[in-house]
Amino acid sequence: MGLLDAFDPREASPTTDGILTNRGRFGVLALIAALAVLGPIAASVRPFWLYLLVQILAFALLALSLDFVFGYAGLLSFGHAAMFGAGGYAVALLVTHVTPNALVVLPAAVLTGVVVAAFIGWFSVRARGIYFAMLTLAFAQIFYVAAFADLPASLLGVETVTGGDNGLVGLAALEAFGVVDLSSRLNYYFLTLALVALSLLAIVRIANSPFGRVLQGVRENEDRMAFIGYDVERYKVIGFAISGGFAGLAGGLYVPFQSLAQPQLLHWTLSGELVVMLLLGGLGTLWGPMLGAGVVILLEEQLSGFTAWEVILGAVFVVVVVFAPQGLAGVLVSLRDDPKDTLGKVRDALANYREKVLK
Amino acid sequence: MSEPLLRTDSVTKRFGKLTAVSDVSLSIPEGGISSIIGPNGAGKTTLFNLFTGKHAPTEGSIEFRGDPIDGLEPHEVVARGIVRSFQITNFFAELSALENVRLATQADRTGFAPDDFLAHHASLSEATDEAEAVLERIGLLDVADRTAANLAYGERRHLEIGIALATDPDLLLMDEPTAGMGPEQTDATVSLIENIAEDATVVLIEHDMEIVMNVSERIAVMNSGELIARGTPEEISRNEAVQRAYLGGE
Repeated sequence: MGLLDAFDPREASPTTDGILTNRGRFGVLALIAALAVLGPIAASVRPFWLYLLVQILAFALLALSLDFVFGYAGLLSFGHAAMFGAGGYAVALLVTHVTPNALVVLPAAVLTGVVVAAFIGWFSVRARGIYFAMLTLAFAQIFYVAAFADLPASLLGVETVTGGDNGLVGLAALEAFGVVDLSSRLNYYFLTLALVALSLLAIVRIANSPFGRVLQGVRENEDRMAFIGYDVERYKVIGFAISGGFAGLAGGLYVPFQSLAQPQLLHWTLSGELVVMLLLGGLGTLWGPMLGAGVVILLEEQLSGFTAWEVILGAVFVVVVVFAPQGLAGVLVSLRDDPKDTLGKVRDALANYREKVLK
Repeated sequence: MSEPLLRTDSVTKRFGKLTAVSDVSLSIPEGGISSIIGPNGAGKTTLFNLFTGKHAPTEGSIEFRGDPIDGLEPHEVVARGIVRSFQITNFFAELSALENVRLATQADRTGFAPDDFLAHHASLSEATDEAEAVLERIGLLDVADRTAANLAYGERRHLEIGIALATDPDLLLMDEPTAGMGPEQTDATVSLIENIAEDATVVLIEHDMEIVMNVSERIAVMNSGELIARGTPEEISRNEAVQRAYLGGE
């Protein structure tokens, strides 16, 4: 229980409660504005930062899409890499064979994510908890193997579709009807930032809609939802498909920037890394996991020179899970609500740890 | 006699080798309070599970207003107007009392239209108004904003009933609504049940014989999965089979 404690919607009045209260929205807007300013600075000072920022934004979107089902609706998907990779491959294939027009390929990435998620969801939602997690993981691995072994090519009898273990390399840059040049890294950064911001708005809106409330009820008590009249499985499939659309978009934004679509996008380790981002950021808060994605990617970048950088990520993860089970979002919210008693909170966390772990 | 509201015809439910409900034919007329009694393990809750789509009968059929309902999914049964409350409180622990009830009043107003995804949930103000009316009826309006997990025991039991009541059922199946309550709370709950029975048909599973004898118009007695007696409270209290199987055993 307590997935939502990290950002308790009940601290607001009952008529306005929900994910992201007005104060939260202001924070998000401020962060978007800061990122919009940071882009051009990064581009002129050190272009590599821009590369990093796009990567962070794409993964933030992916983490957001996963948290919508994982944290908010309680569907423990361990296969979100499937939708991410599918969206990425859809874009890569369209750019290679049809058009590099962003207005075509990005909607196609969304659609691909929706279709793949609806497919996986339809087969998986009857299972619950860990069984659901394992099914989604297995489905994602099937997609991975299909891309790795280039199954579509064998089925269609052509030489190559997915490019096998090499993937699809050297993709052309996106453009928009020849008007906007998205081979400029800065332009691409702004496009990504805008789409990620819009996606956050959309998901928050859905989370606070009647549909979102039903998902929340499903997370809290799936059985009871059925006994008061909800077709729970249908809600779960649709929720999963919506999440898949955003995951597909994340993949669709990530691949052209890398100019590369490879099977690793579909691998279960990516799904696992995503779950780390969620737990680090704060499950069910939607914005927390986006921060989590940023932290993980920055750590990865800073520490990649160090051979065993995962050890440090692991240590950070353990510290957060043990001392701040509600993630970074929980820490930030608690600091915001009561900034004076920070030391007291640290003491509480240590006492809590002693009580639960060392007893 | 008018057509019964709910009718079962030779309903049997087996779980592997265990026969939980055996050849039960029962009819419940519209209106008032009917009770199902019997020792633990007699199959009462299984019968509720069969009525509400949790399980499908192994044999036999169940009709509601003349239409077969066995084999329907729980949500489809609710759409027909049958809803249940649970013996063990089964609510949304992390949500407020109001939100608990509101999920139920929202149920028949929410579907998959664009507005259900894009409007703010607070725009379903009728669902909120109805939820508040239900909270008032179950005596929880004062604690509407309290998280369900933080309610007192009696309040939780009433919330449990309120969630079911909020779907506006024609037939409300209540599984031991007074279990674990003190005398004062029990009285309040019994008044609530009688109040609900004024505009819905109520079926009670209840262990407290005093309540059963006082409020029920009809009683069905089960033992080891079988229906062993049916009748008015007087008839049941005089029935020898019942006394042997149940009353005498206490």
